[in-house]
Amino acid sequence: MIVMSDDRYNVVDMAGTRVDDDHLLSMYVDNELDAERTIALISRLRSEPVLRARLSAMETNDALIKKVYSQLETAVPEHLAPMVTATNITILGTARRWQRWASVAVAASLATAMALVVTVNQTDVFNPMTMDAQLAQALERSPSRAQGWDPLGDNREFRSVLTFPAADGRWCREFLLAQSESHWRGVACRDNGEWVNQVVGSEVFLEQETQYRPAGAGDAEQVARFIDETATDVALGPQQEAALISAGW
Amino acid sequence: MASLTRQQRQDLIEELPRLKRFCLSLTSDPTDADDLLQITVERLLEKGMPEDAHVAKWSHRVCRNLWIDEIRSRDVRSRYAQSESAVEGAGTTSANTDESVQLDRVSAAMERLPPEQRAALVQVAVEGCSYAEAAALLEVPIGTIMSRVARARKALAEDLEWNAEREA
Repeated sequence: MIVMSDDRYNVVDMAGTRVDDDHLLSMYVDNELDAERTIALISRLRSEPVLRARLSAMETNDALIKKVYSQLETAVPEHLAPMVTATNITILGTARRWQRWASVAVAASLATAMALVVTVNQTDVFNPMTMDAQLAQALERSPSRAQGWDPLGDNREFRSVLTFPAADGRWCREFLLAQSESHWRGVACRDNGEWVNQVVGSEVFLEQETQYRPAGAGDAEQVARFIDETATDVALGPQQEAALISAGW
Repeated sequence: MASLTRQQRQDLIEELPRLKRFCLSLTSDPTDADDLLQITVERLLEKGMPEDAHVAKWSHRVCRNLWIDEIRSRDVRSRYAQSESAVEGAGTTSANTDESVQLDRVSAAMERLPPEQRAALVQVAVEGCSYAEAAALLEVPIGTIMSRVARARKALAEDLEWNAEREA
C-alpha cells in the first residue's frame, strides 16, 4: 500500500482517510502496517514513551479480551450438529422468542386467557399441567438458560427459558420439561406467590439421536401464541432476571 | 425448499464453534448468542444456500443479518444497560481476585462497545482474522474494519481508564 505522510502524527492512506496514532498502533498490533510505516512507527516508539505506553495498554487489553472470550461459554449446543445432519426435519423455530417480542404484544389479559393444553397421549407419563412443589421451586429459583437441565425428581428435568411480564402485571416464565424422550414447553405465571401453569405443549424431541420430529406442532404453536398475546414487554435480560429471583419476585 | 448439500452440512457443523463465537461477539450475552446461533442454523436449514456458496461467509452473513433484524426490533442495548446499572454493585462483591475484577471490567467495557465495533475487534483480536478476512466475513470494506478495530480499542482503553480512575 502506498502511503503519503503529511506529518508525523497523521497519515493519509490511498483512500484519503486520515489515519491517526490510534489507527497506526492498532494496525501495528494486527500486523497490518506496511513495512515503511512499521519502520517509522518503531522509530517513534523508541523515542516516545507516551506512544509506547498506549501500545502497551492496547496489547494488554487485547490479551484480556482473548481471556474474556476464552472463559465465555463457547460450546455449541449439543442438539445443533444432529439437527444439521438430519435429512428429515421440521423446523419449529425453537428460538422464536426473539420474534415473539418484536412487536408490541397484544394486551390481552391473562384473566381472559384460557389454559390451552395439552394432549398427552401416553398414559404412563405425568400430566405436565400439574404444578408440584419441585416444579414450583424450580420456577422460583432457576435462572433461564440456553442449555443444560436441572433435575426435578420423577426422572424429570427442567430448564427455564425466559421470564417476561404479563399484561396484568404478573411475572411469567417459559420453561421446558423433559421426561425420558418427551419434552414439553410451557408457561407458568406467579399469582399471589404461587406458580400456576398457563399453557403447556408437547415439544420437539430427539429421536434416535439423529432425527428430530415434531411431537405436536400445534401444541408448540399454542405456547408461542399464548406468549404473543400475554407478554407486554421484552423478555428480561439475565441480570434483570437474577435481580428479580434474588428479590423473591 | 432449498436444502443444503451433504458437504455444506459438514462444513456448517465444522463452522458452528466459530459461528458461536461470532454470535457472542455480536450479542455479548451467552443466552442471546445461543438463540442467535439456533435461529441462524434454522434459517440455513430452511432456506439453504447456493451450491457454490462459501459456507463460512454465507452463514456469518445470515447470522449478522438476523442480529441486525433483531436489534432493530428491540432496544437490547438500553435494556441491558438498565439491568447492568441495577445489579452492578452487587456483582463486584463476588470478584475476589485482581484478575477477575479486571476481566469483569473488560467484559463490561466490551458490552458497551457498539456491536459493529465489537464484532470487528473480536474477529481480529480473538479469532486472529486479517483485516481482509474480517472484511469478507462482515461484508464491509477493509478500511472499515481497520477503522472499527482502532476505534474499538481506543474506546475500550478510555472506558477502562475512566472506570479505573473513578474507582481509585
